Amino acid sequence: MAGGKLIMPLAAAAPAQACDTSRGRRFRVRGTWLLLLAPIAAFDAILFLTPLGTLVSSSMQNQAYQRVLEDPLVIKSLINTFEISAVSTLVTIVSGYLLAWAIWRSSALTRVVLFALVLLPFWTGVLVKNFAWAVLLQDNGLVNDALQGLGFTDHPLTLLHNRFAVVLGMVHYLLPYAVFPIFAALAAIDNRLELAARSLGAGELSVFRRVILPLTVPGVSAAGLLVFIISTGFFITPVVLGGPGDQMIANQIDFYTMELTDFAGASALALVLTAIVSVLVAVYQRILRAGGAHEVG
Amino acid sequence: MTQPTTPISRRSILRTGAGAALAVPFAGSLLTSCSTKPASTAPANKTVTVTSYGGSYNDQLTKTILKPFEKKTGIRSTLLANTSLAALKTQVHSGDVQWDLVELTAPEYVQAVNEDLLEKFDYGIISDKGLPSYAKAEYGIKYLSFLFVMAWDQKHIPDGQAPKNWAQFFDQGKYPTKRSVYGQLSDSSVLEAARLAEGVPFDKIYPLDVDAALRYLAKHPGRDKLIYHTANQEPVQQLTSGEVTLSTSFNNRINAARKDGARLNFSSSNGVLAGDYFVVPKGSRNKEAAFRLMNFMSNDADAGADFDQTTNLTLANTPALAKLPPAVADTLPTSPKLADSILVRDDKWWAENLKATEQRFKLWQAGS
Repeated sequence: MAGGKLIMPLAAAAPAQACDTSRGRRFRVRGTWLLLLAPIAAFDAILFLTPLGTLVSSSMQNQAYQRVLEDPLVIKSLINTFEISAVSTLVTIVSGYLLAWAIWRSSALTRVVLFALVLLPFWTGVLVKNFAWAVLLQDNGLVNDALQGLGFTDHPLTLLHNRFAVVLGMVHYLLPYAVFPIFAALAAIDNRLELAARSLGAGELSVFRRVILPLTVPGVSAAGLLVFIISTGFFITPVVLGGPGDQMIANQIDFYTMELTDFAGASALALVLTAIVSVLVAVYQRILRAGGAHEVG
Repeated sequence: MTQPTTPISRRSILRTGAGAALAVPFAGSLLTSCSTKPASTAPANKTVTVTSYGGSYNDQLTKTILKPFEKKTGIRSTLLANTSLAALKTQVHSGDVQWDLVELTAPEYVQAVNEDLLEKFDYGIISDKGLPSYAKAEYGIKYLSFLFVMAWDQKHIPDGQAPKNWAQFFDQGKYPTKRSVYGQLSDSSVLEAARLAEGVPFDKIYPLDVDAALRYLAKHPGRDKLIYHTANQEPVQQLTSGEVTLSTSFNNRINAARKDGARLNFSSSNGVLAGDYFVVPKGSRNKEAAFRLMNFMSNDADAGADFDQTTNLTLANTPALAKLPPAVADTLPTSPKLADSILVRDDKWWAENLKATEQRFKLWQAGS
């Protein structure tokens, strides 16, 4: 029983395993299921594979890869992308865990309120959120006015157009993507496990460290992967909240497309990013699978 | 009723489909190609889709040119705000051309000609009687002249204490604030401004010493004191919201904001004179209408004078200049009264060096 619950968050993390439940049904509808896939396959072919093919063939022109990878600005943006994504993911996961924990531990009414606080920003457009932060953080914005009014500082602090603002804006956007999987993992824990731990003399910290945390590792990993992948594709937040030194790879793709009108270079860049993220995901899933097997075993 | 019926052939559907598929990799252009389909069902050459830079400028263009043109000829125009060479290039390459008349900066014009993206202008339809000699080109008309200027927020910097030249504009000791400058070099003369600030005379600016300009900016006002805008309406917002007190802008934008009651001002002295072209993308569906609009713009004296007066820009339309009261004519970017105090942007240099300089500038902004 407990074993099943252990696997649940893991199944949520790896969609491949979620298919296991439908495998039994497949034999009953033999052949038909393929037909059911036809519309989505056609949809994919037209809207995903065709443009991807165009992208690949476009990137093969004029030694685009060589040109792009020799551009120091691209190298800097690649480093920026992974630095910013790693920091944002870390901050999002830690604060997302705390938030999920608070929601999990609170009464029914508080839980509704807290969920609303997570969901409302989730439903708000990223551009709106970013510009709201820009207004709050500018030199004569609310935050700086408050800091000066309260006497913490006598001159406006530089809060905008730097990496701090980018990470802040990204975490604000990403938080729901971390809270939901982590909350799902927490909610799946059999509360008798905690009672058992307490009856054996474990304190609050010990229960967390030895029971709760290990059981939520798959949920946290899933959230981490999701958040990191979304992070690498951020475009508008570095534009609105970042400085020129915080531009990410998506901004370089935009620069190559719109300013340099070098479509081959932009295609090559897009594929470089796709390749790097794919490799990271593969490595990550390998680690995740090894970790998951260890948990269950 | 008498509308020519064009049977929708399988080929045209295929072509549209292929066009859409080609457009997908460029999400931005996909958006534009969706939003730019002219909604009207008017017969061919009774409609023209124009793209420009948006904001107050598009309002002025509609009021002074497009509406009177429609009244006179019955040709309806759709004015869009998302002009870009990249989108034009995508449209021409995919064969799905949605735009008829497109505004490009001078270096972009040269690039578009080199890449064979444009239709030749038909000077049989466009009378060149009203065209000044600098404006007439094979694949376009340099229809607009504007000034790149320094602008300030009058609430923080009264006109008496305003910068009189670029050296003062960049002087961190005189104005310990941030400055917003236009980040896209295709239109922005911020590097020229840095050279002028260093005391280089007008006739020695080109060929532009990019490294020297960047060295100057790194020292005055310093990299951390510069923020960059990418849209022409942005500096007006940044100045009125108090985010910055000094910014580069264009004379017409600040004028329009002043008319709307914003407490901003600018100085034409030390400005940089530059121009934009109107071009017709290769394969445009309404190119005849586009040429008729160009003819109207450069020869109709009333519309031209209204445009000059409203925008404070010079339209390539000599009959209009003659109709203007001297008080207005003297403030236009091309006024002989200003000639000694402004720099004329070297389009040829920029056409040859735009891409390399843009990459160099971006890299410098990022800290190297």
